[in-house]
Amino acid sequence: MDVSNILASHAAKYQSVTVEKETPLDVDAGFLTVTDLTPIDEDSYQSNLEDYLKSTARDGIQALIAALYGLPTQPSPDGALAQLPEPTTKLPRAKPLPKPKPPTKWERFAAAKGIQKRVREKKVWDEERQEWVNRWGKDGKNKEKEEQWIHEVKANADVDHDPVKAARDERTSRVAKNERQRLQNAARAQTAGGEREERKKDIEKTLASTRISTASMGKFDKKLDGEKKLRGVKRKFEATETSVEQEKQASLAVLAKLGSGAKGPRKGKSAGDDVLNVRKAIRTVSKGKGGVALARETHRKGAKGKRGGKR
Amino acid sequence: MRPLTEEESKAVFTKLANYIGKNLIHLIDRKDEPYCFRLHKDRVYYVSESSMRMSISVARPNFVSVGTCFGKFSKSGKFKLHVTALDHIAQYAKYKVWIKSNGEMPFLYGNHVVKAHLGRITEDTPEHQGVVVFSMNDVPLGFGVTARSTIDTRKLDPTAIIVFHQADVGEYLRDEETLF
Repeated sequence: MDVSNILASHAAKYQSVTVEKETPLDVDAGFLTVTDLTPIDEDSYQSNLEDYLKSTARDGIQALIAALYGLPTQPSPDGALAQLPEPTTKLPRAKPLPKPKPPTKWERFAAAKGIQKRVREKKVWDEERQEWVNRWGKDGKNKEKEEQWIHEVKANADVDHDPVKAARDERTSRVAKNERQRLQNAARAQTAGGEREERKKDIEKTLASTRISTASMGKFDKKLDGEKKLRGVKRKFEATETSVEQEKQASLAVLAKLGSGAKGPRKGKSAGDDVLNVRKAIRTVSKGKGGVALARETHRKGAKGKRGGKR
Repeated sequence: MRPLTEEESKAVFTKLANYIGKNLIHLIDRKDEPYCFRLHKDRVYYVSESSMRMSISVARPNFVSVGTCFGKFSKSGKFKLHVTALDHIAQYAKYKVWIKSNGEMPFLYGNHVVKAHLGRITEDTPEHQGVVVFSMNDVPLGFGVTARSTIDTRKLDPTAIIVFHQADVGEYLRDEETLF
């Protein structure tokens, strides 16, 4: 029986498991990523996009799976697990680079003088003990002087001179000095740059407001030596020779605003008058003769007439 | 000399509106010639455009006055009307008070108007309303603020104050040097 035909058709149905490309695919098993660096074939891309994308993706996945099967595996209840290697692709960092720390006072001095930084080893050779000992810290070499069993004392030293205490004080004062300088550097770093400027502005603002916060607006305050004159906001006026038409419009705008928005005690009263049109009321009551005539009439008629007028 | 800022014009207009009300538009929007308000050394001048343009060439220290002085701004930013504005106010006054001839002289010496001197008053004048004071033959004498409304004045005794004095034409003599 000749099965070559069947095999050929079967082979044609299932594509080969090996991917052959002009430029080899870049497989990063660590990220489960395949990068296809082959340039896009424009003809097939234009003519049949879906098929082209599918075939490219298929090749990539095939290469990835082939790579995964090549990895060392570990048995587990769910089946063999491939152990992924370290990723080879470099990813850009998510966060921005940390800002460089502001230089300390020493670092600035060293930079100005061109002093190279050199790292001192932590251990130093002890000749007596014939071994490496710490330069500082536990059994440090810097404590050698205060721990030795015999001390050299000068002939003119005080009676109560304690060489151990003197050595120890000297060392602790060095530590204290270093700590003080560290704190100063930290303070300097914190107020460096924009923050310092901001604080300066804040202080100036506060100072300006305090200077005019007396009953005389600071007019009669004692002037300090070298105190600068307070500068306010400079007023700006329109030019004298602007067009009068424009000015008229501006005035009318102000007037319109006054008419609508003003709610002073006087305006309130006139607004109240607007509710009851007094003139119109008088005209109606006096039958068009006017308020003066009405007043005369009410005077002549007395109380009775007044009541009549109100009706 | 400079145009008024918005706040300043507000102060001037509210003060003027107290006397002439809506007629203020006729001062701003004049038919004959464009007029404008100008401020110089705290004083507000009501000037025609042509005079204003000519006065621009005068240096500030040499500049004394132009057009009609309407009043001045106090140091605290309040606006005070001067009697020099009387002509314009009297022309458009909403509420008027006429005083008898025997009351003219007391008023011109700066006294308030008492009821005994009151000749006539505009009907339904409210309380604390800016009014222009006229003599009986319709000559404007000054302006002031009513102490009582027209209705309330009827019950008052003859010595009661009707109009608080604000400015009178006697100031032309009394305050000659500071008025303009």
